[in-house]
Amino acid sequence: MSTPTVPSTRSRKSTVFRRALALPQAKIGLTLTAVVVLLAVLGPWLGPWLTGYDTTGFAGKPFHSDGVAGTDGLGRDVFTRFLAGGATLLLYAVLATAIGIVLGTALGMLAGYTGGRLDSIIMRGNDVLLSFPQLVFALLAIAMLGPQGWLLVLVIGITHAPRVARVARQATVAVKDSDYIKAAQLYAMPRRRILLREVLPNITGPLMVELGLRLTYSIGYVASLSFLGLGIQPPAADWGLMINENRIALVLEPWGVLLPVLAIAVLTVGTNLVTDSLASAAAGREKEAAA
Amino acid sequence: MSFDKRISRRNFLVGSAVLAGTAPLLAACGGRSGAVTVPSGPPRRGGRLRVGVTGGGASDTLDPHIPATSPDIARVRNLYEPLLYRDHDYELEMLVAESLTSSPDATTWTATLREGIKFHDGRPVTPADVVATFRRILDPDDPKSGAASLTMLGDVVATGDRQVEFRLSEASTVFDDYLAQYSLGVVPADFSMDNPVGTGPFRLQGFTPGLQSSFVRNEHYWRPGQPYVDELVLINFPEDDARINALLSSQVDAIDQVPVALVEVLRSDERLRVLSAQTGTWLPFTMRVDRPPFDDVRVRQALRLVVDREQMINQVLSGQGRIGNDLYAPFDPAYASELPQRKQDIAQARRLLAEAGHPNLDIELVTAPIQAGAVEAAQVFQQQAKAAGVNVRLRRLDTTTFFGENYLSWDFAQSFWYTRNYLPQVANGALPQSPYNETHWEDPEFLDLVRRADRTVDRAEREELLKQAQRIEYERGGNIIWGFMNQVDAFQVYVAGLVPDRTGLPLSGYSFREAWLG
Repeated sequence: MSTPTVPSTRSRKSTVFRRALALPQAKIGLTLTAVVVLLAVLGPWLGPWLTGYDTTGFAGKPFHSDGVAGTDGLGRDVFTRFLAGGATLLLYAVLATAIGIVLGTALGMLAGYTGGRLDSIIMRGNDVLLSFPQLVFALLAIAMLGPQGWLLVLVIGITHAPRVARVARQATVAVKDSDYIKAAQLYAMPRRRILLREVLPNITGPLMVELGLRLTYSIGYVASLSFLGLGIQPPAADWGLMINENRIALVLEPWGVLLPVLAIAVLTVGTNLVTDSLASAAAGREKEAAA
Repeated sequence: MSFDKRISRRNFLVGSAVLAGTAPLLAACGGRSGAVTVPSGPPRRGGRLRVGVTGGGASDTLDPHIPATSPDIARVRNLYEPLLYRDHDYELEMLVAESLTSSPDATTWTATLREGIKFHDGRPVTPADVVATFRRILDPDDPKSGAASLTMLGDVVATGDRQVEFRLSEASTVFDDYLAQYSLGVVPADFSMDNPVGTGPFRLQGFTPGLQSSFVRNEHYWRPGQPYVDELVLINFPEDDARINALLSSQVDAIDQVPVALVEVLRSDERLRVLSAQTGTWLPFTMRVDRPPFDDVRVRQALRLVVDREQMINQVLSGQGRIGNDLYAPFDPAYASELPQRKQDIAQARRLLAEAGHPNLDIELVTAPIQAGAVEAAQVFQQQAKAAGVNVRLRRLDTTTFFGENYLSWDFAQSFWYTRNYLPQVANGALPQSPYNETHWEDPEFLDLVRRADRTVDRAEREELLKQAQRIEYERGGNIIWGFMNQVDAFQVYVAGLVPDRTGLPLSGYSFREAWLG
């Protein structure tokens, strides 16, 4: 069975990316993100190799200027811990974003495409979840079940989902009456296949923007929860946790706070710039399509 | 391989010049200029002392008998006085009472009130006031904080113009110790919270719960010349950073509880003085002796041998403390100083664990920021235990959850205790009926020794019994007592009269009657 041709799918997608990449802010954003991601991914190996210390061993007196960036309140090497501190944060943020995007997209597409009662049920359920501020919801869950990695990822992912679902539903409603969808329906293509093969590729623009946005938020939430003592647990090296542990000595040994703050800031600014350019590119394409 | 060989610190710093610019700015925030003079000579009268105190909140109270937070304790210490309390050396000191004597069998104790002592409103303190005070504290419908350690107190009776008799239901040779609590302040028989008068060096001027309280000199105070300052202001500071910044910018004259990691930086500031006091405050790891694997004494002893106590003091307390020997009450005359100092012995720890059938012990340690250094101590212990093949998993909780419904049932956790002498400490944490028996310690031999000691009037004989009890705890107890923390506070260089205090209460034991401004 030959599927109806949707000639513009691939080229549209690549046009959005290409357009976005052509923007200077995207280049800056990608560079900033890449630097921090590289640092976070390679850091855990790089740290001990460069400094000779591991993340939990004692390198000197507490809050002392030994080593590159001094020591923390327990005398552990700040630079080693800084290098190691991004991996878990990034992993959790990516996983939480993935859960949020997959779950939200599935629900949004289903609601938008099916319409009727299912749409109402899904979207009203969404509204209930949306009424909780994300961080408060996460705090509640973690306070009840204890700070565990999987819970952190799950809770942040689940609280992303309704926000993503709204966008996905809106985008689905916009394309569901297109000719190529109607054609697919005429061929009696199963709903799941229409959603995956026809709808999904045509709503990637807004979803990419959403992905970037959610990733930025995820980074912020994981770091915030760790800072509050409810995320990644000691003795792990983690940027959010490091800020909390070292803020007392901000005047004395500022690096323990400044390095992770800087890394989180650069990372979120980077992902935000990329997201912005994707949004601009997608908006440009819409305008073009309308014209 | 050292990092310095590849990238010098200097290059790293130069490369990060933008960031570096912010640090000195922060350090220079606020601050007074001009030369500072260290006060000398006889105390000078007058002025207003502003003190930044940790914690406090909406539930702040002026109640003499239920102080909970640090600001509460600071207020109680200056508004009221108990019959007797501890001086800076942790010796008993008579306050409202002039003397306290025991009957030969230690079942009746007689307090004689200080002659001429008056409340803030000028009325004399009478035995009836003391009786009413203890009635308020021991009110069966609403017992106050001090009641928990006065369970042996049967009746309080006025027996003369200045005499009050404490009749005990069972003999207690250290009843004077139990009476020496700041939460047992003597108040008038008609005491009301609308007019909180006591015999303390200051009387109340203003009070805003959660924010601050102010006091003026008690003109009727019994110590001649004291207090020296006209006015005392206690300001709540829940956050460490805010409290320290207030000191650095001279918005307060003194602060309590300096994070130990900042001692060096504050010491290097010529405008400030750091007050570091040796105390009997301890931050133990608590093992439940009735739960596996800690029910095996070899496991308990092995974990005690795993600890590098010197490293604990250096890393956790930045050197502001002294090592412990798995014994508490270091200032008690009966402290068992003859027991050999326990040191890290990984080989022996491994041997004991292997004998106990736990060559690769895996345990969970419940920790919470119950006191500065607690979570840090747990992390250092985790690191040290690795050497003996012990895997310690940390479970960090918030303080509320830690002290919540599961408190006292954690298998392996931490605790925090202020300075106490041996028997009062045992009453609080080492008897089956103790309110905080965290290790579920119930050793028959130990209990027998402690019971006998509590009734033994002869001091030498009692101390011998207490030493034997301590040996039992040393050999099979459930506490890992790695050290005693110093109390570290700071004040402006122009403040005088604040001295190290062993009770563990900050800033001269919050005794501001001796403070003066140069």
